[in-house]
Amino acid sequence: MKALTANRLIDGEVVFWQAGDWIERFAEAQFFADDDAAGPEAVETAKAQPTVIVEPYLIDIVEAPGGFAPVSYRERLRALGPTNEPTHGKQAEGGAGVEAILAATGAARSTGRVDLIRRK
Amino acid sequence: MPTLIRLQGGVYSPAEDVFTDVADEDAIPAAGPVILSMTRFQAEGDALIGAGRQVGVRVQADEAVEDLAYDLPRLAVVAVVFPKYRDGRGYTSATLLRQRLGYAGEVRAVGDVLREQAGFMVRCGIDAFAAADGSTAEDWAAAAGRFRHVYQRAADARAPVFEARG
Amino acid sequence: MYRYDAIDREFLADRAAEFRGQVARRLAGELTEDQFQPLRLMNGLYLQLHAYMLRVAIPYGSLDSRQLRRLAHIARTWDKGYGHFTTRQNIQFNWIKLGDAPAILDALAEVDLHAIQTSGNCIRNVTADPYAGATAEEIDDPRVWSEVIRQWSTLHPEFSFLPRKFKFAVTASAKDRTAARVHDIGLVLRRARDGSLGFEVIVGGGQGRTPYVGPTIREHLPVGSLLSYLQAILRVYNRHGRRDNKYKARIKILVAALGKDEFARQVEEEWSRIDTPLADLPDTELARIRGAFTPLTFETLPARSEAFEAAKAASPALARFARNNVKPHKKAGYAIVEISLKAHDATPGDASADQMDLVADLAGRYGLDDVRVTHEQNLVLPHVKLDDLPAVHAALAGAGLATPNIGLISDIIACPGLDYCALANARAIPIAQAIAQRFEDADRAELIGELKIKISGCINACGHHHVGNIGILGVDKKGEEFYQLSLGGSGQEDASLAQILGPGMSADKVPDAVEALVETYLNVRQGEERFLDTVRRLGMAPFKEAVYADAH
Repeated sequence: MKALTANRLIDGEVVFWQAGDWIERFAEAQFFADDDAAGPEAVETAKAQPTVIVEPYLIDIVEAPGGFAPVSYRERLRALGPTNEPTHGKQAEGGAGVEAILAATGAARSTGRVDLIRRK
Repeated sequence: MPTLIRLQGGVYSPAEDVFTDVADEDAIPAAGPVILSMTRFQAEGDALIGAGRQVGVRVQADEAVEDLAYDLPRLAVVAVVFPKYRDGRGYTSATLLRQRLGYAGEVRAVGDVLREQAGFMVRCGIDAFAAADGSTAEDWAAAAGRFRHVYQRAADARAPVFEARG
Repeated sequence: MYRYDAIDREFLADRAAEFRGQVARRLAGELTEDQFQPLRLMNGLYLQLHAYMLRVAIPYGSLDSRQLRRLAHIARTWDKGYGHFTTRQNIQFNWIKLGDAPAILDALAEVDLHAIQTSGNCIRNVTADPYAGATAEEIDDPRVWSEVIRQWSTLHPEFSFLPRKFKFAVTASAKDRTAARVHDIGLVLRRARDGSLGFEVIVGGGQGRTPYVGPTIREHLPVGSLLSYLQAILRVYNRHGRRDNKYKARIKILVAALGKDEFARQVEEEWSRIDTPLADLPDTELARIRGAFTPLTFETLPARSEAFEAAKAASPALARFARNNVKPHKKAGYAIVEISLKAHDATPGDASADQMDLVADLAGRYGLDDVRVTHEQNLVLPHVKLDDLPAVHAALAGAGLATPNIGLISDIIACPGLDYCALANARAIPIAQAIAQRFEDADRAELIGELKIKISGCINACGHHHVGNIGILGVDKKGEEFYQLSLGGSGQEDASLAQILGPGMSADKVPDAVEALVETYLNVRQGEERFLDTVRRLGMAPFKEAVYADAH
């Protein structure tokens, strides 16, 4: 499974694709099956929105206890906020979606992460 | 005919580019001013100048302008290539042309030339700009004149702050 | 403080206006992200994991209380109430919105601050000795020369698009508090036998994936020739530094490829062709810059303060603070006070807005309005009367700022790591916190003595792990955070690069490994030798055995 993410241009906020909208909560993101052409199509649509978001890319996600979580540790931190300040970022809101990411175990390279490192 | 932005007497204005920029694999047109690569100039420049043609040289970022030292008085233009916006070698080439080699003809910036570079380019002695971002002479005047003060001496005539303070 | 005049202020206002226009063009779609990125970077604005990060320049690590209060105000108004002091004496705000950045630059410019050239492939903010003007060790004030370089390098027309970033460090003391030998250029002020002032010029040091201790290419450059000589170095680099691979683009790679002697020859040849009277600053301007620093009036005081001695005798906490955080001042009756931003549960280098305000108040009341930032991510009140130390200590303690651990094992450098940074592979902050908590016992920390731990979350080495007595590098091992330990590095005058100890380990193993290293040191050290000295004397073997013994 995959999700589409980016940072919002105006404030840098981590956002996720949901049926044509950019939303802030990972748990509400639209998930694409790995072979679903809708994922890459959404990336193309997103790339045509350069005044809305910056550098969209797909990330790998996995099932976690109580929901879903990004595969890579880096993407989990993007979906939560910094671990040294638990009241900062998206994690501050709490809730089932956040709990699911916090409960996810194991990590592996995700394609999204590799892309992100390469383009820097 | 493509246009340039030219800086003369402190004024930026659009100008027609009368030079044909000749790629190494292309034939030199039968008449009119041309800009050649450094290698091509070394092979064919003498003949063209001897025939009364106006000739300029295109200096790539990895080429040394010092190699042109003895030809500079005969050159109508030196085109300094900025292969990428972030590649700053052309600023040194232009500075050396003005400060060390005493070249008084046109120094033209070509390649990835954006108005954001205006202030830097002008200060390095560049006086013609083949802008790649669609910017106008007015845009260049605004960008180059953005700062009321400069902190260091360069290849232009602007007085640095320490002289202004003096 | 160097006092800005109307010209400097107009310059900052022009810069802020320029960036406001660029942001507007980006938001309107007139600039692509590719075009805009280098422009925002040259104003210190990065896009990090959670938000934009703004890196504000603190020229040579020097602030007055008004400026520090403004940084606190920015933290409160446009961030989440805190800031992060960096290993290059700057401050970073982690939660900035692009739309707010122009207003923040305006707010900075009002107090003579800016974010110019805190990123990008240009000459960055100059690092200098945080004890400048206060230590008796120095032979001249390095801030004067740092300011000379700041002005010269600001929007330098020839050197703003270098192959890669370019960092200066300037010091005038035998004890190096700037890591000069691991900078692109390190300048060490020295007096020649004839008394003339000159710079030892060190070029091509650096960290990152190819670390080098920089070689000296000139033993004694007359100070008046500084700018022409720098122009020669930068010109050789701008023309010949590699641009095909960003990991090989720093000047250290050019110096290493050419060899120190050939690089020096090319610099000298270029220098010989420069019109030096035009390139160097006139003596009158050098004198003007020197004179533009606020003159400080010190009182004539006895070398010993009875009030301070009595307070120390009554308070073990103050006595411990005095042993570790208070350093000798050039004037009798004064001291240099280091304020640790390394409380054991804190994020190394972070200060809250309230803490910044408190330090600003103390500087105004007790410290001749002067505050410094160290490259080890602490703050300094460089001029405090001994008589005032008890009051200063009490105020710091009330704000969680009196941790008495300067130079000790819990005074750890750490980069923001994967908690914030888009480049990081692993977190650095929690590792620093775990080690600091393990060594929370202040008696034991003093028993261990000087021990510098430096942690980076990726190979770019912002956390200086190559020059840590114990260096810790976070790596990504199949998506998990792993940490590679190294030993024997120093960023000081005896600079050396740390050597890798052995295989990496998971985060939870790191405090035990550090514990094993420390125990080994305590068992085998001779006399007064520091951890670093013991490692240098004995090599890696005993330490390696101690850390990996359990693994067998």
